[in-house]
Amino acid sequence: MNTTTVEIILIIIHSLFFIYAFFAIASYVILAIISAVETKEYVKKNSFVNYKEILSSTISPSISIIAPAYNESLNIIENVRSLLSSHYVNYDVIIVNDGSKDDSLEKLIVAYDLVKVNFLINQQIPTKPIRAGVFKSTNPAFEKLTIVDKENGGKADALNMGLNISNNQYVACIDVDCLLLENALQKMVKPFLEVTDQKVIATGGVIRIANSCIIKNGKLLDVNFPEKWIEKAQILEYLRAFLLGRMAWSRLNGLLVISGAFGLFDKKIAIEVGGYDTNTVGEDMEIIVRMRRHMEEINEKYKVAYIPDPLCWTEAPDNYKIFISQRNRWTRGTIETLRKHRKIGFNPKYKSLGMLSYPYWLFFERLAPVIEVIGIIYFAILMALNEVRWDYAIAFIILAYLFTVLFSIVAIYSEELTYHQYKKKGTGFKLLMISLLEPFVLHPFILYAAIRGNMDYYFNKKKKWGEMTRKGMAKAENN
Amino acid sequence: MKSYQYIIDYFENSPTIIQVVWTMSGVFLIGVVILTIYLKYLRSRLRKDEKKVAEYKREYESDLITYLYAGNDEEEISAEQQIIIDKLRSCASDEFKRSIIVSKLLRLRNDISGEMADAIQKLYFQSGLIAYALKRLKSKKWYVVAKGIREFTQLRVKEVNDEIVVFVNHPKREIRKEVQLYLVTLFHFDGLKFLDILQTQLSEWDQIQLLEVLQRFDEQEIPDINPWLKSKNNSVVAFALKLAKIYNQFEVKDALIELLSHQQKNIRVDAIHVLSHLHVVEAKDILKNNFDNLSEDEQIEFFKMLENVFESSDESFLLAHTTHQNFEIKLLALKIIKILAIEKFVNLKNFSTDDDYVKIYEFLENN
Repeated sequence: MNTTTVEIILIIIHSLFFIYAFFAIASYVILAIISAVETKEYVKKNSFVNYKEILSSTISPSISIIAPAYNESLNIIENVRSLLSSHYVNYDVIIVNDGSKDDSLEKLIVAYDLVKVNFLINQQIPTKPIRAGVFKSTNPAFEKLTIVDKENGGKADALNMGLNISNNQYVACIDVDCLLLENALQKMVKPFLEVTDQKVIATGGVIRIANSCIIKNGKLLDVNFPEKWIEKAQILEYLRAFLLGRMAWSRLNGLLVISGAFGLFDKKIAIEVGGYDTNTVGEDMEIIVRMRRHMEEINEKYKVAYIPDPLCWTEAPDNYKIFISQRNRWTRGTIETLRKHRKIGFNPKYKSLGMLSYPYWLFFERLAPVIEVIGIIYFAILMALNEVRWDYAIAFIILAYLFTVLFSIVAIYSEELTYHQYKKKGTGFKLLMISLLEPFVLHPFILYAAIRGNMDYYFNKKKKWGEMTRKGMAKAENN
Repeated sequence: MKSYQYIIDYFENSPTIIQVVWTMSGVFLIGVVILTIYLKYLRSRLRKDEKKVAEYKREYESDLITYLYAGNDEEEISAEQQIIIDKLRSCASDEFKRSIIVSKLLRLRNDISGEMADAIQKLYFQSGLIAYALKRLKSKKWYVVAKGIREFTQLRVKEVNDEIVVFVNHPKREIRKEVQLYLVTLFHFDGLKFLDILQTQLSEWDQIQLLEVLQRFDEQEIPDINPWLKSKNNSVVAFALKLAKIYNQFEVKDALIELLSHQQKNIRVDAIHVLSHLHVVEAKDILKNNFDNLSEDEQIEFFKMLENVFESSDESFLLAHTTHQNFEIKLLALKIIKILAIEKFVNLKNFSTDDDYVKIYEFLENN
């Protein structure tokens, strides 16, 4: 190759990087603007809602909370108590003990006066078989509780068992260690009941980080800002993702994921599509994509709604090892889902799902870390060859950094002007500090985890969930 | 000075793209600085506002309680009450204070009843707050109008009925919902007349709210729901079906039976459900004769109905459906047979080798 050819190739590479970055930034800005409009509208609309009336109504629709549990012995009693404390009238709680090797079941039996019952299960979705049986409480105070003990099959399999067991119209699939606010169910069920021109198939809620918060008897008493950088950075990351990202996708009716930690589904449709996929680690994203795909294929108008209120609080990883393991799994889940449903991508038959949501996820979620790493390697090569145009490099690096910081601050504003959860003096400064430092204390680890996720997906097919040790809310209770 | 000049020269001599990038960086930096300073101000203001709200709440609550207990039998308004009225009237001109006064009034109004509640309503008129709420009804902003209507509902102001009814078919759902709640809260079943002219859909959420409000009132005469069961607005029909069930409206059974051939499946399913609840036996034969033409949801609902109204003549029909492909229908058929003719049920043990059948049979055998 002569010099001119090399130069042309280099120009093409640079242009591609530039175009990618331009569209990525433009999409973030557009999503942030749409989010702002949608959030404002949502807050206005909901200032008129009297949730108490729905709360006490016996004709409100029935909901089952399904919470899979695996080796959760440490906090299971407290967690179940929290799930049973909802103020919604027409609901029950199904805990699926997914082949735990610890004494979770024994503890539950003692704490909630459980006895084995004869239970007829309509096995609409295949699952691993029942192990010890189905248990109900003899204490009327816990009549809403059902415990199912089954052989281990993973989270998706446990959720499918819950779908089979539930007799209710809607199912709230949540992580057993999540703390739900007392009015969470009525807020989540509202979109299903108020939309008349299309069918709401699922509702997603915001997940907030409970690390350092004070929790007692399953209730959130005080919201604190944690001390560790990794925890602080995740709070900022969640604010950005939930308040500036998902809210906009909800407006565009393009949400492809509802957090596995808390989502409400139309049970009939969830079963019609075959329930959760047990062959993926990204079952929360996969079921939404499949439900949407199903609705597109039967040509029925539908919506995946989203509630920005802080209704569900969970423990986030407080060390880099667990954090990397979690993000590695999220990456593999995204790859698996996008690959499985590649038919949707760029397919006008699937309308905005195929032409907008799927391409966005492919380019700016799936490929973003790969392109970033390619960029870093390319930059390293140029440095080694002493070919870096430092005036360009410095200008672009500073621009990218300032954009990231500005975007994070906009997310903080969105939080302050809506839910204002971090009220304590000094927290504003901490949030600003973490906006400046997050690109250094969190982003490199996200990138590393994503690359590991890609490598594990292609070269280590046996890897499934990975380590996800939890300290539990008990830690917060001691604060 | 030299370095300053160097930066200008560097900028001017840079390619256009670099100039654009530096300009954008400058804009972003200014943005970061401004937002950082404003965030400090915003958070302080939010904290101060919270404090102020708490202070005003305490102050107005004490004023309102004083007002309630300062009345006497001789005068319509005592001197002490007049002072409070004047104070609230003057505070009401400030929007921030007005919203706190109104929220306190609403809370008190919800917590008390009888003469005290009337006194609160009187104060609402005397302090001029009603004029501000009326102004809201003329606003172009939907949420201002909705807020105004809600205020009238919570303070039970019947006098503005004419001004509010005009919003019954307003394009904004939130306004319509507030109007409906206003009418039903204040005029109970009479308020449901809006259903006659409603052109938009009444969502499930709205229906639940209206029914909750209606259930608070005892000894009410239920209006004739026949016209609503025949409404062209499907959501009105769905709502009327709920009324028929909750208030056991057996007298509308003919209209309910007509709904079995309604064009919308949900309405047909709900109609079967209500007929079952009301034990309308006539509906059973109609549905039984037409069973194969029903959707699966209707078939399931019909079997639930059969659980309430089965007769020995249904035996062959039930037997024919013990091997139905639907799990729930199979279960209900076998369950009813077990009650109806236990000896037949015993003979059905090996009737089918289908897994679900065996599972259901064993379950019923042991329960």
